Amino acid sequence: MKILLLALRSLRREWHLPELRTLAASLVLAVVALGVVATLSTRMERGVLASAAELIGGDLGVSAPENIPGKFSVAGHQRGLSLTNTASFPTVAFAQQQSQLLDVLAADSAYPLRGTLLIADANGKQATSHGPAAGTVYLDHRALVGLNRRVGDSVQLGGRDLRIAGELIQQPDGGELVAMAPRALMNINDAQQAGLLGVGSRARHTVLLAGEPAAVQSWRTWAQSTTLPQGGELITPEQTQERMRNAFDRAGAFLRLTALLSALLSGVAIALASQRYARRKTSEVSLLRALGTSRARVFTLLLGTMGGLALPAALLGVLLALVLAQGAWMFASQLFSGVPTELPILPALAAAGMGIAVLVGFALPPLVRLADVPPVAVFRASMARRIRRFDVLYLIPAVVALALIWNLSGSAKLAGILAVSLLGVAVVAALLAALLLWVTRRITPGGHPALRLGMAALARRRGLSIVQATALSMGLTALLLLAVVAPALLDGWRKELPGDTPNWFVLNLQDDQRNDFNQALDRIGANQLNMMPLAVGKLTAINGHPIDSLTFKDERAKEWSDRQLRLSWSNDLPPSNTVIAGHWFDPHPTQAEVSVDTMWRDMYALKLGDIMRFDVGEGQVDAKITSFRHVDWTSFRVNFFLLMDPTHANTLPHTWLASFYLPRGHAEALATLSRNYSNLSLVDVDALLDRVREIVQRVTSAVRWVLGFSLLAGALVLAAALATSGQERRHEAALLRTLGARRGLLRIAAACEFALLGLIAGITAALGSMVGGWWLGRSVFHIKDFMPQPLPLILAALAAAFVVMLLGLAGTRKVTHTPPMRLLRAE
Amino acid sequence: MSGGSRPVLEVRDVSKSVNGPEGRLDILSNVAMQVSAGESFAIVGASGSGKTTLLGLLAGLDTPTRGSIQLDGYALEQLDEEARADLRRRLVGFVFQSFHLLPALTAEQNVMLPLELEGHADARERAHAALDAVELGSRRKHYPAQLSGGEQQRVAIARAFVHSPRLLFADEPTGNLDRRTGRHVCDLLFALNRDHHTTLILVTHDMQLAERCMRRAELQEGRLVPMGEPSA
Repeated sequence: MKILLLALRSLRREWHLPELRTLAASLVLAVVALGVVATLSTRMERGVLASAAELIGGDLGVSAPENIPGKFSVAGHQRGLSLTNTASFPTVAFAQQQSQLLDVLAADSAYPLRGTLLIADANGKQATSHGPAAGTVYLDHRALVGLNRRVGDSVQLGGRDLRIAGELIQQPDGGELVAMAPRALMNINDAQQAGLLGVGSRARHTVLLAGEPAAVQSWRTWAQSTTLPQGGELITPEQTQERMRNAFDRAGAFLRLTALLSALLSGVAIALASQRYARRKTSEVSLLRALGTSRARVFTLLLGTMGGLALPAALLGVLLALVLAQGAWMFASQLFSGVPTELPILPALAAAGMGIAVLVGFALPPLVRLADVPPVAVFRASMARRIRRFDVLYLIPAVVALALIWNLSGSAKLAGILAVSLLGVAVVAALLAALLLWVTRRITPGGHPALRLGMAALARRRGLSIVQATALSMGLTALLLLAVVAPALLDGWRKELPGDTPNWFVLNLQDDQRNDFNQALDRIGANQLNMMPLAVGKLTAINGHPIDSLTFKDERAKEWSDRQLRLSWSNDLPPSNTVIAGHWFDPHPTQAEVSVDTMWRDMYALKLGDIMRFDVGEGQVDAKITSFRHVDWTSFRVNFFLLMDPTHANTLPHTWLASFYLPRGHAEALATLSRNYSNLSLVDVDALLDRVREIVQRVTSAVRWVLGFSLLAGALVLAAALATSGQERRHEAALLRTLGARRGLLRIAAACEFALLGLIAGITAALGSMVGGWWLGRSVFHIKDFMPQPLPLILAALAAAFVVMLLGLAGTRKVTHTPPMRLLRAE
Repeated sequence: MSGGSRPVLEVRDVSKSVNGPEGRLDILSNVAMQVSAGESFAIVGASGSGKTTLLGLLAGLDTPTRGSIQLDGYALEQLDEEARADLRRRLVGFVFQSFHLLPALTAEQNVMLPLELEGHADARERAHAALDAVELGSRRKHYPAQLSGGEQQRVAIARAFVHSPRLLFADEPTGNLDRRTGRHVCDLLFALNRDHHTTLILVTHDMQLAERCMRRAELQEGRLVPMGEPSA
């Protein structure tokens, strides 16, 4: 206890030392950077999940091809959760002479628990609603057109006459970009009584739940540990919102990278400052040891001092992180609705733990060695510097850095690239510095004596100069890495959603309407028109075996074969599709060919060369699998699991699916178009696009904002690196001034010295960030055709040298302006 | 060499060698001496003769290559570094040529340091008394850089005596001071030595200072040679 009090007293006395302040500032910065990013990430995650809940109509659920056992509802009620029962199935609706296959959702009056069900009445007036009352149904526009009905008419579903109570405008749809089949929403009791949900039906039953996060989590934990019904699965928010999640995931990865580099930079600053602190404390420790203080006691004293410094600094970091995260959240929270408002504390506390780990890891080696200073060093300072070729202690910062990289990056690849890049930069910088100093010692530069003086100063402090150059290089590399990757990444995001991304989809376009519709679109100023044929069919056999006779490990396979599937065809491989096995279609294949998405490949255990039989309309087609495709389902394009070769598919009965871009403000013209083509369904995805664009824009701002931490950390490294040689520099300057050196000479000498240091750091950082940035951009962030430009990096390196020189000069200004006597007395 | 009463320091055949760039270098050879409680003993010698090395060995700061040193009955060569540290904390005080005051601490805090290390609750009061004894009571809030060389050495002397050590080792205590200030510091050193009944081992090349000690010996080529009878 006494030793701790002594340590705190020692800290109070030494608080004015710049190295202790650097240590504290570095720790605060590391905790703030890690804490803000971790807190924001947690909240964004919650936000994404909350948005996803709106899309599935509840916080969580369970679905199965049979009635959901009562225990799931009972467990929900016990936890105070709200529940709704739904069932979805395809069925044919009839109205007078018309029939139409519909995707029906049968729901009770509690549906939806989350999100919005938007219904329009006979006058087109829209209002939010819940599941329809018994005896009524909501139909979407396509269903109304297909059945030639209006709101208020009746329609027959499952043998029951139901009144159309409204037009289905919007419903929680699981995040589907464009629903292919017309939709209906009916009362679940009606469906039950009509026998649509009985044994042998193709209905999928669902129980959705919503409520307090803790209760939802409790139900989820329970449900994960209980037996699900045959073919059942949990419906979780994580399964949806892929498009938004994608934007967040990459942004999150970059923010974590930035925070990580800030923390590592803080670590470098801590390492430098603690080296400096240890050197300053050497005489004190040798005195304490001479006065009889044991090594363990000295170490405890040093640890106590560090602890006294670290705990308040970490606490301050946590507070600042929470305040900044709260501020940033107020800016970002408009992206989400219904998100829990409480500020998560744990991520910031975890960041404090990581910050302290950085402090311990980077400061421990010099402190342990300091405690080892022999007491006899009180007579001879040289005794304190024992030669150690290899000190295992110096592996500690490396281990801490690797652990931090691993923990934060969550990716072995990112961790590896960062570790190798930074290590490479450190080694190259150290070697380059050593080489230049070796050359400097052997070749006395001519010219101005100040130049000789500056070079000599660097060479005299060889070890220190190498440490300074290496630290500066690592700091600069981290900053340049971010500078290289960030613009390319942000640019990439923007390019993914250019301003003219198709914002309207048209379904049900007939062959004979194509030309007229195309011209009509031209007239109203639409562009980027793309049309894809669409045939609707069923998978009936694989390699001649009827699908009903086959068994599949994947339970979804049976379900998918019951559904109507959508086929399309194209001469060229569509964007966001990649052939990963086999080859794209021959121009004129002799047999029908099909290209299959990897999900279907896995679900049906398909192989290249297998024959799939599809029933389309009245006919049948046998198609040979000639390729498997990877499809980016997160792109804002309409994609298909199955694509056929155009030669054979053209004869199949089909309609057309069109997408186009229509600038805002042309909605009125589109309304006219819609009236002229009443069979078409027009789907507006502008709102969804806007939302994702907004996310990208806000994430971009967040990235720039968090980059500020790295700049601050870089400045700390610079200050710590320059301070390492401050005392020696002051002493030398005092001596030179005593010997009659003019201030100008000292300033030029210092400028030469710092410029060389900055140049070494700049060159290695430029090289390191170019290689590391290229590697990161391609392998981790998947930025297409990414190649860092050397010229800006070279300019950045020169600018860095200049900044180091200026800051170095600023640091020595006090020395050159202080009377030498005072400097000598202060030694 | 021996004093009259029970020896507080006994050195037998102590040698010290180090490995230098030109091979093995013998600094001390078969040094032997005895110092009794309350005595003052001066070790003189030219620069580089090994005076400070011997002082380091006597105080248990370093270990001899060969031989035995008994400090207040403890054989130093049989103790590990931690045990020697414990012994120093309890028995030994130091005055150095370059003062070795901690620049971040005030005069008062520097003097309190040995007491704080031992956990004395009355460290501040005793430090005040020690500073008063060296006539620096009015400068206790001053930092070393704000004190003259003589004042800094007086603070160091106050620090050396504040925990009433049995032995005081002084390494060239006036080496960095002018003659007049040096004399003043020495007066103080010997007065406190007398008042506290402390054994004083002094290393110096100043013969005038050495002559104020009861006994003297000179280091010549690594050997300790007695220099006649005590002067007072």
